[in-house]
Amino acid sequence: MNIHLKVLLLEIKNFLLGNTVLTGAASLLLIGIYSFYHGHHVINRQRQTIASVPAVQKIHLQQIVEHGTGKAAGTTAYYPFFYTTHPASPWAEFSIGQRDVNPFTLKVKMLAIEGQLYDSELTNPLTLLAGNLDASFVFLFLFPLLIIAFTYNAFSEEQENGVWKMVRTTTRSIRAAIAGKLLVRLITILVITLLVFAMAAITLQLPVSLQTFKLLSVLMLYVLFWFMISMMVVALGKSSAFNATALVCIWIFLAILFPGAANIWVNNSIPVPEATETAIRQREGYHAKWDEPKKPTMEKFYAVYPQYRKYPVPDDSYSPGWYYAMQFSGDMESARSSEKLFDKLRQRQTLSERMGGFNPVIAAQQSLNKIANTDLTSHIRYLQSVKVHHRQIREYFYPFIFEETPTESIDWAGYPAYEPVRYTDESVRSGLLAILCWAAGTLVIALILFQRNFIQIKDIPNA
Amino acid sequence: MHFNFITIIARQEWTSIFRSKIPLALFTVLLLVSLLATFTGWQYVRKFNHQQKTAHQEVLDQWMNQPNRHPHRVAHYGYMVFREKSPLSFFDFGLDSYVGNAVFLEAHRQNTINMSEAGFSNGMLRFGELSMAMVLQLLVPLFIIFIGFQTVAGLKQNGVLKIMLCQRASFLDILLGKTAGITGVVWILFLPLLLLCLMAGNLLIAGGINADALTRIVLLTILYALYFLIITMLVVTVSALSKSSKNALMTLVLIWMLFFIVIPKTAQTLGSSLHTAPDKIAFEQAIEADVSKQGDSHDPDDPHFSQLKAATLRKYGVDSIAALPVNYGALVMQEGETISSGIFNKHFDNLIGIYKSQNTVSSIHALIDPYLAIRNLSMNLSGTDFDSFTAFQKQTEKYRFERTKKLNEIHLTRIKYQNDSKQKVSAENWQKQPDFTFQPVPVSRNLSDASLSLAALLLWVAAGFGALTYVSSKRAYQL
Repeated sequence: MNIHLKVLLLEIKNFLLGNTVLTGAASLLLIGIYSFYHGHHVINRQRQTIASVPAVQKIHLQQIVEHGTGKAAGTTAYYPFFYTTHPASPWAEFSIGQRDVNPFTLKVKMLAIEGQLYDSELTNPLTLLAGNLDASFVFLFLFPLLIIAFTYNAFSEEQENGVWKMVRTTTRSIRAAIAGKLLVRLITILVITLLVFAMAAITLQLPVSLQTFKLLSVLMLYVLFWFMISMMVVALGKSSAFNATALVCIWIFLAILFPGAANIWVNNSIPVPEATETAIRQREGYHAKWDEPKKPTMEKFYAVYPQYRKYPVPDDSYSPGWYYAMQFSGDMESARSSEKLFDKLRQRQTLSERMGGFNPVIAAQQSLNKIANTDLTSHIRYLQSVKVHHRQIREYFYPFIFEETPTESIDWAGYPAYEPVRYTDESVRSGLLAILCWAAGTLVIALILFQRNFIQIKDIPNA
Repeated sequence: MHFNFITIIARQEWTSIFRSKIPLALFTVLLLVSLLATFTGWQYVRKFNHQQKTAHQEVLDQWMNQPNRHPHRVAHYGYMVFREKSPLSFFDFGLDSYVGNAVFLEAHRQNTINMSEAGFSNGMLRFGELSMAMVLQLLVPLFIIFIGFQTVAGLKQNGVLKIMLCQRASFLDILLGKTAGITGVVWILFLPLLLLCLMAGNLLIAGGINADALTRIVLLTILYALYFLIITMLVVTVSALSKSSKNALMTLVLIWMLFFIVIPKTAQTLGSSLHTAPDKIAFEQAIEADVSKQGDSHDPDDPHFSQLKAATLRKYGVDSIAALPVNYGALVMQEGETISSGIFNKHFDNLIGIYKSQNTVSSIHALIDPYLAIRNLSMNLSGTDFDSFTAFQKQTEKYRFERTKKLNEIHLTRIKYQNDSKQKVSAENWQKQPDFTFQPVPVSRNLSDASLSLAALLLWVAAGFGALTYVSSKRAYQL
């Protein structure tokens, strides 16, 4: 039998039958299964809540109409809430992202919108702090550790117990021996990645589509990147203890310290005082109108809705048309800071993406959240859709309010249905490219190091 | 046990750590990271609190400069409260980024506390925040592992252990000496740093250190000292159990992963699976159902309010609402407020109860993971914990209720029932209302809230000594 093949087979036997592979793969699989359960559990509860919304909305409106019977539309219009929902994409179960932090249902009244957009969901903050153990966490955090465990002693152990010297003297090609050892590990890692991903795809019922494929490509590249990092450290030719220490340190730096510092940096360089500013302005903008003459308020309203000019608004007493015009001008006055807030949030996203260029862990996380539509940008899209819906509702009810139609003669459920944001297919090219570049760069360094430390060794006693 | 042997071994361990370059290099990195974390943390808290103070001042000025208004208008105008970070939050961010920062307080409605930093952040926050507490909780243990993994295993490998055991030193002496040596190094490297950062940060943020802050700082230092001791004992134990330094290192790194990454997440997600909390819609629906059961002030035929009407008429000896000396509308409003506020508080307490049971699941896990114990204690003492935030929620709701009640009283006595909405009262009436000031949770309650974690930490110390004694008694581990 060919000597190369023999060495390779021996390596396969040694590696695969060792304890590391079995324990590593088994524990990862176990945590993986738990993560699928967790992701499914969290998103499924959100789905159930979202499914309950139409019934809640229907009963709510019925009650409003019951109470309001006999009163004019303008009086009743103060009370109803209109629900909006942010449905989860099929990939959200894989990567929960920010969906646990941000509200996925929002209810709005016909009053000024800005005060209603940032209502938070009820959640246990400690649960948010601990974070989700979802499939993306398993891949982003735990897979690198598995790779480290598989590779840190690939050569050092044999150097330490003297086997490597025998390999060097017996084998005809040291390159082939090195390549064989690495290949066995790489293939094992890729097989486990595919296996866990396939399990995720089946249990979470990910659709067979381009998106799922994109998800897989991000993960495969990411896994490759970590394998290259391991290769690079191993190629230094140091002891097992050194390799393990160095790799764990790299992992901590890339997965904990760097993102932690980057996050502070992003928050510090793009502060969002606009959030509170919008709320303060909207409140003041609306309430001040009560004590001001009615005409300027109405003029502001007519500028957008000239069709209501024909309805009389008494100057010395309350009228529903005026009330909703006041609410409207509250929004108008806070519109600038609200726009600015959205803009700043987008800037934060862009800046974080740029950070991803320096750190494949961040790049991978953001790509996964993008594919799953569970990032901040997706939430902003949702908030914008709520704003649109709020406008549709106002515009549907304005004629009744100005006409002072009796509550019971209006179809309260006849407003334009809420149009949830559709799945947005965002490009993850930059993320993929970042991971690929880092992987390729590390590979080159690793190859140079192998050449220097393992292949062309001048110092024979150290070989 | 020979005390002088322990001292000799401890001193030997101490010098050998300082002789090698790697521990000092690692320490330098950690020192830089801690200083960076402290500095950015302090800066962030300062900026944030300044922003909140400015917003608060703006809202207060607006409140004071209101023209004469109808009191119920003022009740709807409401007030806004902005949460400031606690003086020690620069050290341990705790839950701060995940809880809301501003709440709008108005009549009839209990609004959520909104605008959390996490809500305005994309996923990067979820990797964990860089604070000094994070360095001490996560990275110092790793430092201890790196300087200590070979402490006993190394002696076994090169045969020195056998020689030492022949010289009248018992195995326990060696283990205790090693523990004392490493703990001494860690304490001298990190505790003064911790104390200094806490003092300096507190001084800069709060402008001084009062007795409460001092107690917190001292307690934090002591608890972190215990935590480092626990980790050291763990490292020495594992090192003593291992055949080679390499095995010890692998086991310890694995334990680190479990303690800091896997168990905390699993415990918390387990807690939320075991104790299901209602989501917002269900929570609000339940309150609404209870309110309409109790009495709906908007329903003219509601039995509860019919009774109120009859009783009020009887009390004043008149036969119509118009003849009452007080404004009946305001009376109904306050009654509605009392009912809904009571029901809200009941449901809210229930919700907090569920969250607490969820959190208890992870507190119990502190018995198998000392990190959870120190995490909870550190948050509690830094005022960035669950109970501090709940206290803020409850205090703002109480303040909202009191404030609305006072406005309703003005409405009751100063506004006539006839032509109610056309009348106004002087702004002085509400200018005298006290401003909201958050009463921080006292340190004693912080500690009692974290009693489970405290007990776990102390148990870990005891267990550490127990483990060392047990390991030292087994001959198998001496070879």
